[in-house]
Formats: sequence, structure tokens, C-alpha cells
Amino acid sequence: MASMKARILSLAAVATLVAAGCSSGGGQPGEPAASGQSLTMWTFKQSHATALQKAAERFTAQTGISVKVEAVTPDDVFKSKIQSAAQTGDLPDVLEAHAAGEDLELGASGLLADIGGDVNDAWRARFLPSTRNAGVLDQGRIDRAASDSPFKQAKAGSMYAVPFTAGAFGIVYANKEKLQAAGLSPDTPPASWEEFVAALKTSTEKDPRAGGLSLGLKVSQVGYNWIYQPLAHAYLGREKFQGLFAKGTTAGFGSPGGVKTLDLYGQLTPYWMPGATTLGIDEADIAFAQGKSAYNVGGTFTLAFLAQNGMSPDKVLAFPIPPSESGAHKDIVMAPLALTSLGVTSTSENRAAALKWIDYVTSPAGAGVVAKESLDLPATDLGAEAATLMGPELAALQKYFTGAPESTYDAGDTTFFPGGYDQVKPGEVFVRLSPLKELDPARAGRELDAVFGAMWKSAE
Amino acid sequence: MATRWKEWLTGWAFVFPAVALFAVMGVYTIGSGLALSFASWNGFTPNWIWVGLENYADLLWADPSLAPAVRRAAWNTLHVCVAVPLLTVLISLPLAVTLNSVRRLRGLLRSVYFLPYVTTGIATYYAWRYLLEPEGSINLMLRSAGLGSLARPQGWLADPSTALWTLILILVWSAVPTATLLYLTGLQAIDPSMVEAARIDGAAPRQVLRRIIVPLLTPMTAGIVLLGVRDSLHGFQIFLIMTNGGPGGHTSVLALETYELAFFKGLAPTLGLSSALGWLLFAGAVLLTLANARLLRRVR
Repeated sequence: MASMKARILSLAAVATLVAAGCSSGGGQPGEPAASGQSLTMWTFKQSHATALQKAAERFTAQTGISVKVEAVTPDDVFKSKIQSAAQTGDLPDVLEAHAAGEDLELGASGLLADIGGDVNDAWRARFLPSTRNAGVLDQGRIDRAASDSPFKQAKAGSMYAVPFTAGAFGIVYANKEKLQAAGLSPDTPPASWEEFVAALKTSTEKDPRAGGLSLGLKVSQVGYNWIYQPLAHAYLGREKFQGLFAKGTTAGFGSPGGVKTLDLYGQLTPYWMPGATTLGIDEADIAFAQGKSAYNVGGTFTLAFLAQNGMSPDKVLAFPIPPSESGAHKDIVMAPLALTSLGVTSTSENRAAALKWIDYVTSPAGAGVVAKESLDLPATDLGAEAATLMGPELAALQKYFTGAPESTYDAGDTTFFPGGYDQVKPGEVFVRLSPLKELDPARAGRELDAVFGAMWKSAE
Repeated sequence: MATRWKEWLTGWAFVFPAVALFAVMGVYTIGSGLALSFASWNGFTPNWIWVGLENYADLLWADPSLAPAVRRAAWNTLHVCVAVPLLTVLISLPLAVTLNSVRRLRGLLRSVYFLPYVTTGIATYYAWRYLLEPEGSINLMLRSAGLGSLARPQGWLADPSTALWTLILILVWSAVPTATLLYLTGLQAIDPSMVEAARIDGAAPRQVLRRIIVPLLTPMTAGIVLLGVRDSLHGFQIFLIMTNGGPGGHTSVLALETYELAFFKGLAPTLGLSSALGWLLFAGAVLLTLANARLLRRVR
């Protein structure tokens, strides 16, 4: 009998321990943030995890709320982990997701809570203007979505996340030492696309094996997204650029203007780093950091990665994709877009504490800590503190964020794409145009028109 | 009666864990996967949207932005499905016969030929990538041997004319050790007196191989071909890691398309499409297996 009692007691103890282990260890939903609470957070960026943990230490010191940040990489693993956690009810309190897309889909699918009522105007005003509404689902996006998209079930105006990091794509990094060795100026960026191609020619002639341009074309859409789109936007102007993608257009990629932009892109063909189509984005950056290429294309976030891989930021010259001399705009301004955002999961039992943590980490103080540690641009406007917190090179990139509105290229504007837009398909056509040379610009134009025509048809 | 009941219970107690495991991991997963192929879902929303056979139609012809990519992947998959088993048999059978006939260092040689199997996996794919780079060992060897014209300046995986065949050869390289081992097992099961009798009757080694050994190894060949077809249809790791379907879609295969539809379409509701493509692959595998079995039965 005593033995039976002991068994029952041990079973009860085990059940209690299991129950304790399964609970998220916080207060009840809606309970105010309180010292002693603990939060969990997942991010898909390894470099952010360390920086966020550093910010979390300060946050804990201020509030008594602890935060455990976990990096789940790469992207597909992050996504499948969220999928399985959503099914088993094991989501963390806070998620860092890709902004203006993934975060909205997570919200529309019911995984992120609508925090619009908690993020007041003063909070929103902290962010760079072009990033403020990145986590808000607008009616336009709902209208453009395919009929089976979760957006159709969501309410317009819901705010599922606040912007966290910002930046721009289409930033060229040049190795100053290689420029010098090739007789090019290490301090003056090329003023035009034509000068850039000429500089590439010079550096490749000087060093045929390691004087070219690296880009992770294994991810086929990066050439199309990061080089072609800003180049075509500057050449054609906003209206004609957006017209390339329009439904039933006669001024598409196969039109004279479209073919000209493809011809400009195709001028890169002789200067790609050998084997560029087998390199992932990170691998291409590493190749550049190792001196295997003279130029590399990435985003503002690439500078941090180059630094992590041993290339000092003062050894690179950074500039946006230069415009063509014969184009509509003679300068390129990149509108910063929100790259990642932070949201509170709908199952979080620590909503108030989670909001407090997001509030801190998007405040100038918290964002500054993260920016300094991760060398990534925050969506929070750091004002005069920017150079001190981020370093002169990263802060200098911000000068390309302001300029004439008509020549500003906004990669975050997706209003003119077909619903269910899949950038991989046009990306493959661009790889076949350059570097593979399987298509000439006219044929690539026709194929791209067919690709977008099919997307519009699918969207119907 | 009570004894029989007790025996029945004991029997079920032993079998239950395996049945439960199969029910959860097998029946449930297969059933749920099949049901998903008739739905639209992104993995997050609480409900699936039922679309009937639409996913299958979209993949095969109805969706103009999807069907052409699936057809191209199917064409590449067909190349892999035919070439990998065929080359595996063509290499491993003579290799096994040779290894079976050598008297000295037989153990060492077997170990050497079995090494690719022991080391195979993601790590070796990365190692192959280094060898196949523009400045990798293979180009270097060709240039050193005066065969620079055969070297690929963009690397073997970045050149559309060599990318798919390079991957096929690596798959064959991974498959040959197991096939050789299976053939060796088959060879050792052949009664030596049959071979001896043929030799006494004046049969040349080539005739012994063609008339006696190859027919007797037919069941083994069937197994090796089936394994090759199965691996070719389902395997996508090598394509994901080494080329991601590139350059320009030249190495995209159906299994990779399935994976990409599931995990690389943002959060678009493409899990149903992915599942439908998985079931189409399954149907293809069943058809190929039946055709192969029938062909081999006829040969036998």
C-alpha cells in the first residue's frame, strides 16, 4: 500500500513537472507586464540573435523581464519550425519575420496578434517614414491577393508587426585595393552605369580571375531584383517601369524601352565572377570578402556580413546601382524599406511584456544597441546618433535614402505586380540572359512578357 | 477461453507499439498528405480550403505559370531516372565481377570501392562543389594534362551543358558502392560448378558473363534498378545543395520543385500543390516500378 502511494505521488510529481515544462512560464493573457516574467523570441538572423540578447540584458536590468532569443536558420527551417509550433501551440512570445510580407501572412493566418491599438502615434513616429506602415495590412493588398490567400480572411488596417530593421537592395561594394591596383579611383563611385561597366572592364582586364562582379545567382532572382529593377527604374522612370509589369501591356519587356533596359543589364555578361550561378548570396559575399571579385552587389545589410567575414568596412567603396547616362533619371535614390519586423504571437500569454520588449528594442536606445552589435540599419530613426552608433560607413549609406521623389526607387512598392507574384520565374530568365547568354535581350523580353502574362492569368 | 483471451491480449500488447507507430507516422501522414493534395493551405491558417482536383490540374496544364516549370522538371527527372540506374548497373556489375575474381588485396579493394557509400551525404556534396569550381581540382587536372579545352571556365555546375550530367555522375558515384556490394553478394551465391562446367565446355569469359552470370544476377539487377529509380525520383538534396535547380532551371527536378513549393514560396498557400506533386511523383514511381518488374520478368 505504501508502495502504491509512493507510485501515485511520483506520478503526480512527474505530471506537475511535465505541466510546468509545457507552460510558457508567464502570466495570463492580458496580464500587465511584470518583473520576473520571461519571454521567448525567435529570429531567422543569426547576427540579430546576439545583438538582441545584448539588448535583452539591458531590458532585463530595467524591467526585470527576461528575454530568451533563439536564432532559427536558414529561412526554410524557420518557416517549418513556425508551422509545426503553430500546430502544437508552442510558438514563442515574439517573432522577428521578413517585413511587409511574411509578417502580414503570419498575422492574416492568425499567428500574430493585431497590435494596432497598442502602437500609438508617438511609437510609429520613431520609424523612418517609408517603413512605418510595413506591418499594416491595407485594403490594396487584400484586393490584389489570390482568392485562396489568407489575406482575404483578414481585416484591412490590422497591424501585425512593427518595423525593426530597414535598408535597401542594389548597393554595390567595391574592393578599394583592387580598384587601386586596376588604376581606378578607390574613393569616387562611378557616376553612371556606363562608367560602372567600363570600370568592371578595367578591373577584369587587370585580374581576369578575381577582378569581376560577384552575386549569388544560385538564388536566381537577385540579379533581377537588386540590379535590373533599380537600373530599369532609373532608365525608364517610375511610370514606364511599372508599366513593364502591367496586365496586357504593350509596353512590356519586349517593347523597345524594355529591350533597351535588358540590353543594359546584359552588358554585365563578360564581367561576372566565374561560377557566379553556383553561389548563394552569402557565398558570393564571402567570395568578395576573400578577394575573389572586385565588385559585389548586395543590400545595406551586406556591410555587416562582409565585416563578419573579415573585410573591414573602410576597405570598401559602397554606392547604389548607378543610372544610365541615357535614362530618364540621372541619379538613383533608394527608399529604405523595412526588412524585418517584430510581432507578438496570438498565443502569447505575456502580451503586455512582449509589447514592452518590442517597445524597448525599437526605441532609439534599444535599436542603437542592436545596430551597434549587428551592423544592421534599424528602422528606428537614430537621428544625429546614427554615425556614432552604426559607424561612419553604414551611416554614410543613409545619404542614398534621400533625394528627389520622382527618382526614388522603392523596392517595397509591390502594388503593380500580379497577385501571387513569384520573382523566381523572371529571375531565371535573367540568369539565361546574363551570364548564360542563352537569350538575347529581345527574346528575353518576349519570355518575360510571357512569364508575367501567365502570372496575371494565374492570379485570375 | 480465458487463456485464449489472455494470449490474444499478450499478442496485441507486443504488436501494439509497432501498430500505433505505423498508424501515426504512416497511415495518418499518408492520409493527411493525400487529403492536403486536394486543398489550398499555407501551413498556418486553421482551415484548409478544399479545391478538389484543381492542384493536379494546375500542375499538369491549367496554371500557365506553374505547368511549364513542372514539365521541364519532369523532363530533367526522366534523364536522371534513366541515366542513374543504367550507369550504376553498367559500372557496378563489371566492377563486382572483377573484385570477385581478384585473389590479392580483395578486402582492401572492396573497402576502397565502398568508401563513397560510407562518406556519402551532404558533406560530400560540398566537397564535390569545391572540386567542380572554375578553379577546382577537376579543371586543374584537365589543364595540367593538356586537356584545357575540356575544362569548363565557369565550373562544371555553372555551365548549362554540363550541370545536369555532372549531378547524374555524382549520383552514380554514390550509388555504385551499394550496387557493387549487392552484385558481390549475388556472385557469391552462384554455384561455382556452373561456371566451371561452362569453362570446361569451352565458353570464353565474356560468354560466361553474358550467358550465365548476368542472367543469374537478374533479380539483383532488378533491385538495383528499382533503388536507383526510387532515389532518382525522391532525392533532391544534391540538386538543392549543389545547384538549387540552376543555372537558369537546367537542373530542376520534380522532387526539388515539390520542396520549393512547400518551403520557398513565402507563405503562399502552396502546400496543397506541393503535396499533389508528391503524389504525382508517387504515381510515377509506381508506374516505373511496374514497368521495370514486367520487363525483368520477360527478360528472365
